[in-house]
Amino acid sequence: MEMVVVAPPASGKLEDLKRRFFATPLQAVVSLLSLSVIVFLVWKLLNWAVFSAVFDASGGADACHAASGACWSVIAARWRIIFFGLYPYEEQWRSALACVTVVAMTVLSCIPAFWTGRRIALVWGLGAAVFYVLMKGGLLGLSFVGEEMWGGLALTLFIFVTTCLIGFPLAICLALLRRSELPWISRTTGLIIDGVRSLPLISILFTFAIVLPFALPQWLQGDKLYRVILGSALFFSAYQAEIVRGGMQGVPRGQEEAAMALGLSYWHRISRILLPQAMRNALPATINQFVISFKETSLVVIVGFFEILASGNAAYGTGEWRFAYVEVYAFIALIYFVFVFSLSRYGAFLERRMSVGER
Amino acid sequence: MTVPTTQEIAVRVEGMSKYYGTFHALRDINLTVARGEKIVVCGPSGSGKSTMIRCINRLEEHNAGSIMVLGTELNDDVGNIDEIRREVGMVFQHFNLFPHMTVLENCVLAPMLVRKMPRVEAEAMARRYLEKVRIPEQASKYLGQLSGGQQQRVAIARSLCMQPQIMLFDEPTSALDPEMISEVLDVMVTLASEGMTMICVTHEMGFARRVADRVIFMDAGEIVEEAPPEIFFTSAKSERTQLFLAQVLGH
Repeated sequence: MEMVVVAPPASGKLEDLKRRFFATPLQAVVSLLSLSVIVFLVWKLLNWAVFSAVFDASGGADACHAASGACWSVIAARWRIIFFGLYPYEEQWRSALACVTVVAMTVLSCIPAFWTGRRIALVWGLGAAVFYVLMKGGLLGLSFVGEEMWGGLALTLFIFVTTCLIGFPLAICLALLRRSELPWISRTTGLIIDGVRSLPLISILFTFAIVLPFALPQWLQGDKLYRVILGSALFFSAYQAEIVRGGMQGVPRGQEEAAMALGLSYWHRISRILLPQAMRNALPATINQFVISFKETSLVVIVGFFEILASGNAAYGTGEWRFAYVEVYAFIALIYFVFVFSLSRYGAFLERRMSVGER
Repeated sequence: MTVPTTQEIAVRVEGMSKYYGTFHALRDINLTVARGEKIVVCGPSGSGKSTMIRCINRLEEHNAGSIMVLGTELNDDVGNIDEIRREVGMVFQHFNLFPHMTVLENCVLAPMLVRKMPRVEAEAMARRYLEKVRIPEQASKYLGQLSGGQQQRVAIARSLCMQPQIMLFDEPTSALDPEMISEVLDVMVTLASEGMTMICVTHEMGFARRVADRVIFMDAGEIVEEAPPEIFFTSAKSERTQLFLAQVLGH
């Protein structure tokens, strides 16, 4: 048998690369092959997206037909539809400002300095009011724009944020009710949670948008948009409730006993001892749920709302740009990515921050 | 032994029983603790000693008999339970400190929420008690940075911050490494010397000898023997007690 000569640990990046990818002839071949495939794909992509692409909208759709690459001019020409849907053209600055408000509100409430009840309530109360007045108008000299005209990114953000805003407290209530010591309360809550979870979101949205008006008196119906938001919040809360309950199960029994022994009331035990620790345990799954909910807002198209994805369809849907759907979807994917990626990075920040107490 | 008057009674347990399903965990417990008295409860594991002291602040519910704490009957009345818990501190085997808060926050939480004490005042008091348990320098740390003995002393300080009239100790040194036991016992001895009413479940017989006014031996959910330490350790009446003492003190 041959002696295996162990090379001394190589220093430097080049040596390291050599050891990882070119250790044996076979490995070298596989590495080179993979590398050439990657280079080829990246070149094709760059060629399509950048080098042969048309960026200038002035040539119109015809300029794109002549070029072999991507037709970004569709974005330049139709971005207003993607962002604002059917919102009246003259008033679209209001929709843009409303989007900025939601983003600002979310960013503010992600900053630890704002994590007191009063500040969070102030940020959200004020933000919601500004958003609503901007979008709907009808006062302060702003013209009235009904909910059926809302669309695009503003609508997606509105549905997502309100879903979470209603769904999250509801989820905590459901999770607390489910661990009630009274069996009829915990069983009923369990039944509700399991019932909602066993239904597809589409059927819930459909029920709330189309079927509910037949069952409810006129004054209770509200606008279709708010019924849809309630439906999606209910769906969100059923899943989130189980996530919170899982988090609660991870908090040792002794924590609550210690809080009881100190004389803390039920609500103080829940709000100061149980929930903070449960939410820490539940954080990764919670971020996951937020991400899923953000993407699921696209389902409201089936009840006739033009959120960002449906607005995108409308953007290329006219005859002139019909060929440019790939570019539109790529652009919308980028927007989704920006929001979802920020969300997950924020989750990672929270995890790091919360692990301070652990060790 | 003189019978203490109602004013002087801290805890009176009469004919108390406790069941877990069909398992009879505590049988006809009778115990009267005077103010300022130090009781050590010992016995083999599963004898019901922890369950008994956990009944005194209603971490466990008793099924029969009565418990009076500082003149208040412990029953289903939530007001009574809250009143008793405010006046009875408890130290646990596994510390049960709140890991998402600093040492200082652990200490000021209950005084601020339950006693409505202003933060400045609560923090000043917390620092006094942290000094008393000899860890004033750890106030801004989280638990992961503290040893077991330090954590248990924080837990004692946290209880003291509620300024309780009675302290319950549920095996406070059982989860500690041997070299940390004495630092916790020292704090408990100091507390005892200041006249705190204490009921301690512990296997530390040296502590019992030194501090206890009475030692109680429990087995199979019953109080088997009850005597001052000098008598308890030298001339225990029951065979079960003698066997237990032989096992505990054997080495």
